[in-house]
Amino acid sequence: MAAVNKLVCCGLVTIALAAVGCSPSATNKPEPATASSAAAKPATPGPGEGQRGATGESTTGQSSLDELQKGKQSTPGPLKDVYFSFDRYDLEGEARETLKVNADWLKRNPAARIEIEGHCDERGTNEYNLALGAKRAQAAKDYLITLGIATERLSTISYGEEIPVCKESNESCWSQNRRARFVVIQARPAS
Amino acid sequence: MMVKIIFAVLLVILNPWPTNAQPKGETGVRGEIVGQGGLKFPIAVSPLKNLGTTADTGKLSEGIADTIVYDLDLSGWFKVLDRAAYIENPQKSGVALGSFDFKDWSTIGAEGLVKGGFTIQGDEVTVELRLFDVFQNKERVGKRYVGRVKDYRRIAHKFADEIINQFTGVPGIFNTRIAYVSTSGGRFKEIHIAHLDGSEKFQVTNNHTINLSPSWTADGKSVLYTSYKDRNSSLYLFELYSGKEAKITPRNGRYLGGKASPDGQFIAATVEIGGNSNIVLLDRNGNVIRSLTESPGIEVSPAWSPDSKQLVFVSDRSGSPQVYVLDVANNKSRRLTYSGNYNTSPEWSPRGDRIAYTGRVGNRFAIFTIPVEGGEPRKLTAESADSEDPTWSPDGRFIAFASNRAGKYHLYVMQANGENQRRLTGSGGDDTKPNWSPRLE
Repeated sequence: MAAVNKLVCCGLVTIALAAVGCSPSATNKPEPATASSAAAKPATPGPGEGQRGATGESTTGQSSLDELQKGKQSTPGPLKDVYFSFDRYDLEGEARETLKVNADWLKRNPAARIEIEGHCDERGTNEYNLALGAKRAQAAKDYLITLGIATERLSTISYGEEIPVCKESNESCWSQNRRARFVVIQARPAS
Repeated sequence: MMVKIIFAVLLVILNPWPTNAQPKGETGVRGEIVGQGGLKFPIAVSPLKNLGTTADTGKLSEGIADTIVYDLDLSGWFKVLDRAAYIENPQKSGVALGSFDFKDWSTIGAEGLVKGGFTIQGDEVTVELRLFDVFQNKERVGKRYVGRVKDYRRIAHKFADEIINQFTGVPGIFNTRIAYVSTSGGRFKEIHIAHLDGSEKFQVTNNHTINLSPSWTADGKSVLYTSYKDRNSSLYLFELYSGKEAKITPRNGRYLGGKASPDGQFIAATVEIGGNSNIVLLDRNGNVIRSLTESPGIEVSPAWSPDSKQLVFVSDRSGSPQVYVLDVANNKSRRLTYSGNYNTSPEWSPRGDRIAYTGRVGNRFAIFTIPVEGGEPRKLTAESADSEDPTWSPDGRFIAFASNRAGKYHLYVMQANGENQRRLTGSGGDDTKPNWSPRLE
């Protein structure tokens, strides 16, 4: 398990380096001290998952449930969250732009599979928010499909209001919590 | 004669549940709520007399009296007189009619009196409790209970239920428990249960994930809930006596909550497929029987009518979440709520006549009830804070709910007309999603 962690961490570092034009040989460097051990752990360990160290831009991330269980948030992944209005699951202009950027990343990383998490703010009823979160995740998934991403690469889950990223009771926090989050659950094709 | 009239008046006022009463202003303030028409029955609850030779090391004398006082106070129908004012020495005076002086009680203003005695033998206790009319110098009811010493509160709850029965013709609901979700100050959400007075707390789940929406089965022996313990939200059934937990919904299904029917035969559950949430009918083992709604939107939070023939649920088919009523036999539904643009978490009164739900008022959430046939909703909680997730007592005369009026979310209980709102829980965490058990044996 430790070896897997190490390799995954290296994969993550690759992205950071790739962003500043570093060569793929960076993946062979030993684990740097700056890479937090909590930075990246496969959400659902499985065959082939991040086990070889990535040579491209792909990575694996932690689901919100993993983060909750570990008590720490992971380093932001390559895909950006999209945000929603209160009690809405339709995609606004900014959300569509973000999804286009996310779709581009998915096209550049054809082996990556992602889980789309639907989240809500704390207001309202838990069960309704679970259903609303499912709608948000599905809305993001549907739009990615229209942008040409294969449906098999996209799964969804709703956490409703249960795992907020921001925990205060004000609109600034609530607006951050009404989101779809994208977790790379498989960076490489399963072998 | 005088007392007979007073009892009769109470019977008239309490028995037909007042349906025209409006909550009075800031109903959330503890201890400020006056009962219907200002009428609260003055009653004294004497510490019990130790009738045996075993020392009362567990302080049952005060403990049983305290529990009865808590229950009577919670009902909102009684003014329990302060024990410091009591004149007689409970360990010296008798507990049966003729063995104590009613004047000791009429002098301090008591119109009702609870007295009793107990005998401890090993880990067992025999308790006799009596309710007296002070003015009429009469015994209204006397009961004898045998139980384990550590369960003395249950005995007290049973007699409190009997006192309510004497006054209203329907037993009280104090021998019940509430299942709820608590963070207990941590980051996980686990299912807990406790009596109304906070006693006999028990933690049902401890899986360090998210557990939600607990509800009791009709026999009061199991709790149904939603859990992410296997990462995919599923329904689980926990049997209290055996401690056995079973996942009852299919492995790959996504279930967002469920409720067991009062007849014990079915579970109405919310299943999510492709982002759409719909209500399905399951058998009591979690097998899908058929769909009850087939909508491309959000259909969620089913709750049963007392006869198990109808459901209330939430749908956003009108563009905002509203409460609907559905006939299980033919899947036909009708819209119930029209006020406001966010009405969720409906619960059907065990009396059958009203639906309680959470409604959004401005930026706050409040508890409402509305007649089953539709009509004007009645707001029961103030919007100075949020109140959510109503659950009815088994007699339909009380509603428990979660509110953040004291900062964190805690559980509260009130009369079904919104009066006498009292806080039940006070843990360091958030307590939410209460679900009231049936009457326990």
